[in-house]
Amino acid sequence: MPIAEHLKPSLIELLLAAADDKLMLGHRNSDWTGLGPILEEDIAFSSLAQDEIAHAQALYEFLSPIAGKDENELAFGRTAEEYRCATIVEPHDEFDWAAAITRQFFCDHFDQLRFRRLAQSNHKPLADLARRIGAEEQVHIDHADSWMRRLGRGTTEAKQRVQKALDQLAPLAVTLFEPVDGEPALVKDGLYPELDRQPMFELWRREVDAVLKDAGLSATFTDVDPNRKGGRRGVHTRAFGELLDEMCEVYRIEPGAKW
Amino acid sequence: MPSRNSILADLHTIDDPEMPISIVDLGLIERVEILPHPPNGTADHADVEIDILPTFVGCPALDMIRDLVRKKLAAREDIDKVKVNFLFDPPWSVDRISEAGRDRLKEHGVTVPEQGSRLPVHDVPKLTTQVRTSAVPCPFCESRSTYLDSPFGPTRCRMIYYCDACRNSFEHMKRL
Repeated sequence: MPIAEHLKPSLIELLLAAADDKLMLGHRNSDWTGLGPILEEDIAFSSLAQDEIAHAQALYEFLSPIAGKDENELAFGRTAEEYRCATIVEPHDEFDWAAAITRQFFCDHFDQLRFRRLAQSNHKPLADLARRIGAEEQVHIDHADSWMRRLGRGTTEAKQRVQKALDQLAPLAVTLFEPVDGEPALVKDGLYPELDRQPMFELWRREVDAVLKDAGLSATFTDVDPNRKGGRRGVHTRAFGELLDEMCEVYRIEPGAKW
Repeated sequence: MPSRNSILADLHTIDDPEMPISIVDLGLIERVEILPHPPNGTADHADVEIDILPTFVGCPALDMIRDLVRKKLAAREDIDKVKVNFLFDPPWSVDRISEAGRDRLKEHGVTVPEQGSRLPVHDVPKLTTQVRTSAVPCPFCESRSTYLDSPFGPTRCRMIYYCDACRNSFEHMKRL
């Protein structure tokens, strides 16, 4: 089904949110290349970074003809207010392993639901891409869940540190659920259908809580504030500005350069 | 007029940029469309359109594969324009890898999940109590005393296994 003209601006918002989350998360993950606590995790975080950035790229490419900008311009050529990533992907983890795993855990479970929804979209090219991204995300979920269990059931120090990361990041995790402008219309039209007519936040919380309980950990989430002026509406933290400047440094020297 | 078989034979000479296997044996080629011109009867030239299924979304080898396919086919006297499309429907799967392709990968220490198999639950890495036998036989010594060391490997489509019997690590193609 072709995308109705009046829904295009909202669809751009929605997919930019998905792509921007992944682009930022991918860059944060790539910080661990060469610094992972064990070799396997060095490879894992480098692969996670590759996956997230590749998914972001595919989404920017998908958006390119709709937004009328090429994918590099979408990735690197916007002002800070034009990005739609959630607040949780913005702060640096300060090379705290527990924080990096916890951030990934929250975002992976969110992404799996988000792409399950997009896989049921009535726009087939989008559904095909989303189904594929969702399948690739399954490895991320297995990875994050097994680390939560390992740390939660590990030494006293491991448990304390991951619980501290959960306490710090749980308030930010709910920012993933802040809607983009025009989202209800996308749901109603079938471009971004709900799963089993249930609020995504409840589905997510159930999944996340089950793993945490199994790991002997816990997290307290406040309700999502749909009116908050946060990342989904282009209001970002200082850490985001710093990351963006670093990420776009080369692009800004010669925008549109061909490699 | 180029024939479908001759086009596939040409594509068969192109190896995946990241693995020692032809893109045909890897199962990337979904469709070869031959568009003769002039379209009526006597055509001896054609444009071709090739549908390719990426193994992974945004695989960094895709641009290179597209260039290699274009260059190879456009060099033929009987082919004019070459168009390459990347599709996600049907999704690429390890089951598309040919027998010859499996053999060739195995020679290089890369195993492929059995046709139609599912990822057994115990192959999800259990980081606390690693199960040290798996459904994946070692490509070097055939032992099943192997375990998943990491679901992430040198490229996004491969995982790392370790064989306790011959003490080699090897790679296994990822089933999604």
